[in-house]
Amino acid sequence: MLAMLWLAGILLMALLADVLRPYSITAFDLKNRLAPPLGFGGVGAHPLGTDELGRDVLSRLIVSVRVSLLIAFGATTISAVLGTTLGFLAAHFRGWVEQAVLMLIDFQAALPFLIVALAVLAFFGNSLPLFVCLMGLYGWERHARIARGLAIAAGGQGYAASVRQLGAGAWRVYMGHVLPNIASTLIVSATLSFPEVILLESGLSFLGLGVQPPLTSLGNMVGYAREYLQRAPWILLSPSVVIVLTTFCVGVVGDWLRDRLDPTLE
Amino acid sequence: MIRFVAIRVARACLTILLVVTFAFVVLRLSGDPALLIMSPDAPAEAIAAFRHAYGLDRPIWQQYLHYFGAIMHGDLGQSMRDGRPALSLVAERIPATLVLTVTALVLKVGIGIPAGIFAALHRRGWIDRAVMALATAGFTVPSFVLGLVLVLVFSVQLRWLPSGGQESWRSVILPVITLGAGGAAILARFTRSAMLEVLGQPYIRAASAKGLPWGAVVRRHALPNAAIPTVTIVGFMVGSLIAGAVVVESVFSWPGVGRLLVIAVSNRDLAVVQTILLLVASTMVMSNLVVDLLYGVLDPRLRAVHK
Repeated sequence: MLAMLWLAGILLMALLADVLRPYSITAFDLKNRLAPPLGFGGVGAHPLGTDELGRDVLSRLIVSVRVSLLIAFGATTISAVLGTTLGFLAAHFRGWVEQAVLMLIDFQAALPFLIVALAVLAFFGNSLPLFVCLMGLYGWERHARIARGLAIAAGGQGYAASVRQLGAGAWRVYMGHVLPNIASTLIVSATLSFPEVILLESGLSFLGLGVQPPLTSLGNMVGYAREYLQRAPWILLSPSVVIVLTTFCVGVVGDWLRDRLDPTLE
Repeated sequence: MIRFVAIRVARACLTILLVVTFAFVVLRLSGDPALLIMSPDAPAEAIAAFRHAYGLDRPIWQQYLHYFGAIMHGDLGQSMRDGRPALSLVAERIPATLVLTVTALVLKVGIGIPAGIFAALHRRGWIDRAVMALATAGFTVPSFVLGLVLVLVFSVQLRWLPSGGQESWRSVILPVITLGAGGAAILARFTRSAMLEVLGQPYIRAASAKGLPWGAVVRRHALPNAAIPTVTIVGFMVGSLIAGAVVVESVFSWPGVGRLLVIAVSNRDLAVVQTILLLVASTMVMSNLVVDLLYGVLDPRLRAVHK
């Protein structure tokens, strides 16, 4: 319940980021550089303090939440669509198509994703759309595996067979009938990979290889805060708390959804 | 049994082949190396000469074979930054990384597995709850946050331990704890659910029904069966020994493979990135292979199928 509340708050914050943030993320307040948060000797104008250029930490935090959530949503959607499509293709055509998909799954599972992501970034450089697509490759193999297994099972059930008998094409069978029946499992699996994408994105941004300045993301803020660990630990703490609480809450909600919707999934 | 091993080995080789192909394709897609290295206004003859020297004017399949041959000979190109062979550049970083990752692995296995077993045996008790709460926390806190918070507390505030570098054995402590915590949490969760699954099986009830003391039931019947899924996770951890510390090495400025990778990526030093990619893939594939073969030893059912 608390987890839901927190997530709703975060979501609202991301949606209303432009209204909520008190300052622009690049606005300098040179008189109040490295101001501590309210309650630790800070000024009321900057409740969470400022960084060394006098940029308001609260504003940056709000915008970061939006960027990080946007990337995580985009990436999870891409990976779910991609994985489901490949899974369906494998289930429909069987034969060599299935073997090819299975081999891709093996390949993906053989490499830690972080390394692949780093390699791709090295070869192609970095831009936000590319970065989102790259994150979208994360976890597709899990969706593909689930979609394939479930679609094969569904193909053997009466409803799919009867729709086919009625003359529906493959597209209609999969999109109109199989997909709604297995959607709950897929949604649960997407919920479970969502926090992992947030962690991955913030990890890469932390290394300075993800979201590039002047844009800001949660990981970016943490990476940046590292330089000021001694003098301004608050720059580190607020984004860290947001990352940890958000991933934790998504995890809790995901577990809850799984228990409600689909007890068979591990 | 030989068939079983042969299939696994063949699949491992196939995966490595796929990774090499992936590296080749990505390398070719990323742009014309001639234009990348020479200035754009170089004379056409010079570019042609360069292409010829590096075999870029040959058909793509010949280039692929050549590339493959070079890799088989251990020739992975030169680092663009200082012109040294990429392989030796990477190789000299490996020991530093292994110091961290192997110690952390010991920590993960030493804490995670007993904690998981203990939690499962005391299901729903306060120990179970405490272990699971800790495991969830260890699971959701990203390693860079944990690392920096540890630095904040133990280096900046208390001044007990160094925040980075590689001067003494004390600088190993914080990175190892950071690395180990997450892995121990994952292992504890897995071991616990594997144990719970096994403890619910009829043969456990049969074993205690025939009068075996509980300790013996756990040791002789539950643990060996619960070992199978746990071995998979440990195998994965062994496979990521070389590249598992990318983030943590950066937090603590540890001069290992992970840091080299991050630096190489930001400089777009392709030969080094590719070398690390291949190295990681092969260790990963190797450890998966070993795990697969271990399954055969641990689980006689698998052997029977493949006989």
